[in-house]
Amino acid sequence: MDDLLSEFLTETNESLEVLDQELIKLEQNPDDPELLGNIFRLMHTIKGTCGFLGLPRLESVAHAGENVLGKLREGELEMSAETVSIILEALDKIREILSVLEATEAEPEGEDSDLIARLNAAAEGGGAAAVEEAPAEADSAEEEVAAESEEEAPAEAEATPELPAEVAPVAASSPPPAPRAPSEKPQTAASEEAHRESAVANQSLRVNVEVLENLMTMVSELVLTRNQLLQILRTKKESDFAGPLQQLNHVVSELQDGVMQTRMQPIGNAWSKLPRIIRDLALELDKKIELVMKGADTELDRQVLELIKDPLTHMVRNSADHGLETPQDRVANGKAETGTVTLNAYHEGGHIIIEIADDGRGIPIEKVKEKVLANGLASEAELETMTDQQIQQFIFKAGFSTAAAVTSVSGRGVGMDVVRTNIEKIGGTIELNSTEGKGSTFTIKIPLTLAIVSALIVECAGERFAIPQLSVVELVRASANSEHTIETIKDTPVLRLRSRLLPLVSLQDLLGIRAPDGEETEGDQGKIDSHGFIVVAQVGTYTFGIIVDRVFDTEEIVVKPVAPILRNISLYSGNTILGDGSVVMILDPNGIAAATGEISVTENSGQDVGERAGRGGSERIAMLLFHAGDDSPKAVPLALVARLEEVDCDDIEITNGRHVVQYRGQLMPLVGSTGEIHVKEGGKLPVLVFSDKGRNMGLVVDDIVDIVEDNMAVELADSRPGFIGSAVIGGKATDIIDAAYYLRQAFPDWFNMDSNDSPLQRQKILLVDDSSFFRHLLAPLLQTAGYQVVAAESAKEALSLCDDGEVFDLIVSDIEMPEMDGFAFAESVKQSSRWSQTPILALSSHHGPNELARGREVGFIDYVAKDDRDGLLSSIEQTLTELRGAA
Amino acid sequence: MTSQQQTEQTGHGTGFAADAAEFVTFVIEGQLFGIPVLGVQDVLAAHKITRIALAPSEIAGSLNLRGRIVTAFDVRRRLGLQPRDCYEDSMSIVVEHSGELYSLLVDSVGEVLALSADDYEKNPPTLAAGIREYSSGIYRLDQRLLVVLDVDRLLDYEPALVA
Repeated sequence: MDDLLSEFLTETNESLEVLDQELIKLEQNPDDPELLGNIFRLMHTIKGTCGFLGLPRLESVAHAGENVLGKLREGELEMSAETVSIILEALDKIREILSVLEATEAEPEGEDSDLIARLNAAAEGGGAAAVEEAPAEADSAEEEVAAESEEEAPAEAEATPELPAEVAPVAASSPPPAPRAPSEKPQTAASEEAHRESAVANQSLRVNVEVLENLMTMVSELVLTRNQLLQILRTKKESDFAGPLQQLNHVVSELQDGVMQTRMQPIGNAWSKLPRIIRDLALELDKKIELVMKGADTELDRQVLELIKDPLTHMVRNSADHGLETPQDRVANGKAETGTVTLNAYHEGGHIIIEIADDGRGIPIEKVKEKVLANGLASEAELETMTDQQIQQFIFKAGFSTAAAVTSVSGRGVGMDVVRTNIEKIGGTIELNSTEGKGSTFTIKIPLTLAIVSALIVECAGERFAIPQLSVVELVRASANSEHTIETIKDTPVLRLRSRLLPLVSLQDLLGIRAPDGEETEGDQGKIDSHGFIVVAQVGTYTFGIIVDRVFDTEEIVVKPVAPILRNISLYSGNTILGDGSVVMILDPNGIAAATGEISVTENSGQDVGERAGRGGSERIAMLLFHAGDDSPKAVPLALVARLEEVDCDDIEITNGRHVVQYRGQLMPLVGSTGEIHVKEGGKLPVLVFSDKGRNMGLVVDDIVDIVEDNMAVELADSRPGFIGSAVIGGKATDIIDAAYYLRQAFPDWFNMDSNDSPLQRQKILLVDDSSFFRHLLAPLLQTAGYQVVAAESAKEALSLCDDGEVFDLIVSDIEMPEMDGFAFAESVKQSSRWSQTPILALSSHHGPNELARGREVGFIDYVAKDDRDGLLSSIEQTLTELRGAA
Repeated sequence: MTSQQQTEQTGHGTGFAADAAEFVTFVIEGQLFGIPVLGVQDVLAAHKITRIALAPSEIAGSLNLRGRIVTAFDVRRRLGLQPRDCYEDSMSIVVEHSGELYSLLVDSVGEVLALSADDYEKNPPTLAAGIREYSSGIYRLDQRLLVVLDVDRLLDYEPALVA
């Protein structure tokens, strides 16, 4: 049956029940306007719904009944037993039609002109003859009505309403008078119909929630017991219990599903008030707001539903209030006048995802920063190291005060900490994604139900633990030989996962536990094994890995609170009994994240390094490590190296006092990294080939060690020729060589070799980068390519060059810089009169879609990764060519 | 909490008023101890105990008692005696303390004794501090002495957390 129709049937049946009772009450208290109003409203609703669903016959009956009630309500008609009776009769007619409707999904044939005529007559205040028949007719239709007319009939005569119910049915079974025949044709089946009809009404049943809660608790325990039985069964190869236990298993599973189902409610129930709230807000704030609700029929546990109702309402209100701009502002920003708040709910892997999105102004990072600083939630230095997304998360922090936040340009921080606490209380997570000017999206992830959670069972140092599945993103197996190897930065373990550095915590270290008999030897104390399983967990936007020894399967567990003595240990969220009867602790990923956060402050852990990725001084860059001359490792940015070659010593020739080798049809000069080349007879020498403009140069080294891509803080101020500084790579101090120095050794004219014949010669490029390392790296690179390069170490310095009247053909600017970042720099360049036409390229070590979009907005022509040398050169060339073409 | 136990608590210090009281006896490091029998829910043979990292050292772990999670409590450590490395052969006495079940790990559990108040004495002041703290008195038996432990004080962690 159509959902709409079945809903209508249930609802209308309920309304009819109420109408019956209310009418009786009305008869006793004819002067109660409230009662009459209620009756009128119910009848009106029925009529309205019938009209909506296209049920003309029902509608006409309901309409006639409503007419009578209307007259009563307006006082045009006196309340009398006859009037009540005929209305009851109309109700019975409606019921009768409904029962057919339920069986056939269509209105029965026939017409009710007789009844309608009498109703109309009643409305006119007359038609006594017709009315008199009414009680009998009503009675014959259904027992219930009989019960009512039993009160009416006496009322007509003696007015003794307390008369027992048994009297009426006798009258009810009397055969109907002939004139009523057409509409009363299912007479004989009346009682049967009545039964079926009540079947519809009884399809939904109101049950006390407590009963369901009890049921759920018991099923939870039953599930646990079932799990234990199955565990026992697994250890026994053959058992007579196997069959029955399997059966029990199935039944319990179904029972669990069934009971869960009883607690499931569509999330739309929690949303029902929202359209009204939005409408009121729109009026109040003078905004145009459209509320879009998707997935309203997504079901979740009613307990969860109750708990998220308020946070959801709060967030939607926030989105509409603080997120969306006024229509004027929207139009000014080139957006549609009407702002949209979108709610979207869907299932995903045992969880419910709820998104609350608006296309408003987004969260202004600068404002948040100010607020964070003002409230002392973080220091300026800490903020420097954070990505925009991390900064946005501050709105969830307690103490991100409400009042000030509302009055400042956008706030958005109104009680968001409460929202987050509420959501985390039910084991959920909340994330925020916001683009300034584009809008914000909150994503809430919550478990379907609280009673039983799915958890991953892991082992560490011989102990088992449960980790709630909700926060587990993936599992990674790390071993020395696979692509996933646990590396350490000093003693802090990290893992490279899809070109991101994942901070790791060793559960063993965190809990301070060791395997009892050293069966899982971890080597010496504190040293992390290079293999093991890594549970990648996510808390908010912080992703980290937990190193464990083994991973078992997932199990459904019932969370039980820990003993009071243990409650202050934040790493546990509870404990539970597993299928095999043993007790395990449930780890709390939030607690672990908090604990590792503390570690990062004191021990400079992997998390810290990960967060620092976007910072000026330390950049993520690929370095080629090699040995040359002495034992200390040396490195050169991989981007500068064209190829790695091995040169036979026999092939090395000497011309003009210099070592050369024939390479790809040319003579390639070789330069020793220590100044000399030790040519051994019959030996081979590894050579790093630097190549540009068809000329090659080989740097001879002792051996090539590795290529490392890492975050590194480069310390400069190296006065030795040939070195630009040193950095800690792989835990060792490493010299970074100055490629330009060796290039000049090979070709003293390298940097101006084509200064005369190149059309690019006067192309002047301004390079803005706060990192002197990159200035040293890129300036020679660009010079090599034939450009004239001026480097500035800050946006300020660059702008002062502008004031001094310098003119450049192109500006290449870093994004992450202290004080004024690349975005702000680009904006002020575009605003200044002199440089407004100068194209700007953005240079960054990390670029997400947000940065790309933002970069384009402020006027960057292109976005190039810092280590993408070819990309940078081709982008520069292309830009300048276009510029010349346009000029 | 039974009325028996309450009388003992209030009676502690002034000597026992009751004529005779029944005690579950147990042995730790050769010393006989007793706790009022009415406070005891269960006596368990060696049970599998899950260690709980980061917990106070007196917490040996937790165990599953017919579907309830019971916190195992190492009485030795609490009394300042030499701790044991493993609890595999420890017996335990399950008691309730403010609504939670605790299992007291002891070396072995003996019989239940009915002791007369006549044999009761206050703690000798020279008693080792660890024991004196949690003992509510001594009974003189024929062959040996029995130290009565006050379960509530044993399991009351508030002062310990403050201290």
